[in-house]
Amino acid sequence: MTIEKAYLLISIFLFLSGLLGVIIRKNLITLLISTELMLNGVNLALVSVDRIVGGIEGQVFALFILAVAASEVAVGLGLIIALFRLRGYEGSSEITHLRD
Amino acid sequence: MEGLAILLSPLIAFLLIALFGARIGDMASALLCVLGGAFSFLFSLWATSRALSEPFSVKLYDFLPLDAYNLSLGLFFDPLSSVTASVVTFVATVIFIYSIGYMHNLFGQWTFKFYAYLSLFLFAMLLIVLSDNLLGIFFGWEGVGLASYLLIGYFHTQKKASNASLEAFVLNRVGDWFFLFGIVASFYLFGSLSILDIFARVSQVDKALLGLACLLLFGGAVGKSGQLPLHTWLPNAMAGPTPVSALLHAATMVAAGVYMVARLYPMFESAPESLRVVALVGGLTALFAALAATSHTDIKKIIAFSTMSQLGLMFLALGLGDRMSAMFHLTTHAFFKALLFLSAGSVIHAFHHHVHYIYETGRLKRYMPITYASFLVGALALAGIFPFSGFWSKDLIVATAYEKSFLWGVLVSVVSFMTAYYIFREGFVMFHGKEHFRHEQKEEPHESPSVMVVPMLVLSVMAVVAGFFEGWYGGILGVHKELHVDIAVLSVVVGLAGILVAYLVYVKGLIDPQKAYEALKPLHTTLKEQFFTERFYHRGIARGYMGLSRVLFIAGDRVFIDGLINLLNFLYFRVVKFLWMKLDIMLVDLFVNGLAKASYWTGRKVRNIQTGLLNNYVSFLLLGVVFILGVIIYGMR
Repeated sequence: MTIEKAYLLISIFLFLSGLLGVIIRKNLITLLISTELMLNGVNLALVSVDRIVGGIEGQVFALFILAVAASEVAVGLGLIIALFRLRGYEGSSEITHLRD
Repeated sequence: MEGLAILLSPLIAFLLIALFGARIGDMASALLCVLGGAFSFLFSLWATSRALSEPFSVKLYDFLPLDAYNLSLGLFFDPLSSVTASVVTFVATVIFIYSIGYMHNLFGQWTFKFYAYLSLFLFAMLLIVLSDNLLGIFFGWEGVGLASYLLIGYFHTQKKASNASLEAFVLNRVGDWFFLFGIVASFYLFGSLSILDIFARVSQVDKALLGLACLLLFGGAVGKSGQLPLHTWLPNAMAGPTPVSALLHAATMVAAGVYMVARLYPMFESAPESLRVVALVGGLTALFAALAATSHTDIKKIIAFSTMSQLGLMFLALGLGDRMSAMFHLTTHAFFKALLFLSAGSVIHAFHHHVHYIYETGRLKRYMPITYASFLVGALALAGIFPFSGFWSKDLIVATAYEKSFLWGVLVSVVSFMTAYYIFREGFVMFHGKEHFRHEQKEEPHESPSVMVVPMLVLSVMAVVAGFFEGWYGGILGVHKELHVDIAVLSVVVGLAGILVAYLVYVKGLIDPQKAYEALKPLHTTLKEQFFTERFYHRGIARGYMGLSRVLFIAGDRVFIDGLINLLNFLYFRVVKFLWMKLDIMLVDLFVNGLAKASYWTGRKVRNIQTGLLNNYVSFLLLGVVFILGVIIYGMR
C-alpha cells in the first residue's frame, strides 16, 4: 500500500465524516464546518489522484476549490449569523418553513 | 342595341317600382309603368320599321356553353315578331294608362305592387315575342305565368281571387311541362334551340319525332291560351282587376300560345299530323267556349269565354294552315277584346266595384254614353260586322275554313253566330233594358274619368281601323288573300242574325228570358258549368288529389313513418339506458373514481417525506447519489 492510497483513504474518511456531520448534527455552524470537511476531503482526493496519475489539473482544481470555499464560507457564515440575529435560530430543525 | 331597349324599358320600370315604389308613391309608380310601356312601344315601332326591310337579330350573351352548341339569349326581329311587339306594347301602354283610373280608389294601399307586376308582365311577354330561341321563349313563358299568378291574385284578401290565381298557376304548370318537354325534344332533334337553326334543319329530321315535339309544344300553348282541356282557369282568372283581364287574359298573354305556334310554324308545317290536332282542339274550344258564354251572367266571364272562343278560332286557322289570318285575327282581337274589357271595367268602376253580374246593371246608355259607344264598337268588331276590324280578320278565318272543308266552315259560322248573340246579349242587358240596380244603388252611375275614357277611345279607333291593314299585314308575312264576297256577305249576315236574336229577346222582349231560362234549365246549367268540366276538375281531380294526399298522410306519414321513428326512438332509448347503467356507472365511473382516490391517497402518504429538515434532504441526496453510482458501476462492469 503506497502512501498515495493511504491519502485517498484519509480523504474518503474525511468526506464521509463530513457527510455524517451534515446528516446527524443540527447546529447550523456545525453543518457549515462539516461541509468544509467534505470539501477538503475532496481536495485531498484530487491532489492524491494527481500524484498517482502524474498530472497537474487536479492540483489547480484544488486551489480553485479552496478559493471558492473560502468565499462560500464567508457568505454562509454571514447568512447564519444574520439568521441568528434576526430570528434567533441556531438549529436546522427550526427552519422548516420551506415545507409549507 | 336599340332592340334591347324594347325589353329593358319595362324591366327598368319594374325594378324601379319594385325597389322604390313605396317611397315614390303609387301615382309615380303608375307613371313610371306607363313610361316603360310607352318607350318600349316607340322602340318597337323603330324596330318594326327596320325589320320590315331586313330581319335582324340582336345577340345578348352566351348563357350556357355546351359541347356542340351554345345556349344563348338573343332577340330576333322579323316582321311577325316586331309587329306583334308593337301591338303588345301599344295595347299595354293604353291599358296601363287606363289602370291609373281604374285602380285610383286603391291608391295608398301598396298599389305600386300592381304596376310592378304589370311592368314585369310586359317584360316577360316581350321576351316571348322577341326571343330568338326556345329557351328565351320559355323564360318569358314562365315570367308571364308568374305575373299572371300575381295579378289574378292581386285582391288576395278575397278567397275567390287567391283560388283563381292558384288554379291558373297549376293549370299553366301542366301546360308548361308539355312545353318544357317539347323544348327538350326539339333540342334532341335539332341539337339547337335557336329558331333559325331549327327552321333551317326542319326538313332533315324524323317526321314522327318532329310531330311529337310539335304536339308537346302545342301542349304548352293549350295551357297558356286556355284551350280544352286546360281551360277552366281562364274564366276564373276574371277575379283579378279588369286591366289585368284586358291585358293578360284577352289581348296578350293568352295570345302567347297562338303566337308561339305561329312563330314555330315551319316546325308544325313539316309535321301536318300535329296541325290536325291543333285544328281539332281549336275548333272544339271555339264551339265549347261560345256555348258557355251564351249562358253566363258575369260581366267579365262572358268576355273571358269569348276570348277562349276567339283563341280557339285562331288555333283552328293555324291548324288549317293559315298562319296569316290567325296572326291578323290575334292583332285585331287584341284591340277589340281589350276594348270590351275596358268598357266592362268602366261599368264595374261606375258601380264602385260592387257589381259583377249583367242583371244587376241595365239601361246604362243614359248614364255612360262613351262607355256604351266603346262597348258597341268592340262588340260590333267581335261580331264581325263590316267595316270593323273583326270583320276583316274573321272573314279570313271563315274563308280558310270553308276552303278546307264544309264542316269546319259551318262550325266557324255557328261560332260566329253565337259570338254575335252573346256579346250583344251582354250589351243589351247592360246598356238597354230595365234599371236593375235601382234598389241597391242609391246614387246614379256616372261616366268614368277621362284617364279611363281616353284609352277606351284610342282602342275604339284602333278596333275600327285595324282591319284596313289586312293587305299590308298579309304583305309583310308574304301572304296575299283575296276577299271572297260571298263568304264576307255570309259572315256579316250570320253576325247580324246573332245581333237580331239578342235584340229581339233582350230589347223587344219577344221571348221572356226568365221563362226561357226555366224551360231550358238543364241545358242552361250544362252550358254554364262548361259541360261540368270545371266541376269535374275541382271536385274530381283537385279534391280527389287532396283526399288521396290526406289518406297517404295519415297512412304513410302518421302511421308508418311516425310509428317507425317512434319505435326506433323507444328502442334506442332503452339500449342507451342499459348501456349507461352497465357500462358508464359500473365500469367507467369506477375506473375514474378509483384513479382519483388512488392519487389522493398516494399524495397523502408521500407528502410525509417532505419534512423541510435539511438533514433529511441530505440523507435522500446521499441515497440518490449512492443509487446512481451503483447503477453506473453496475453498467460499467
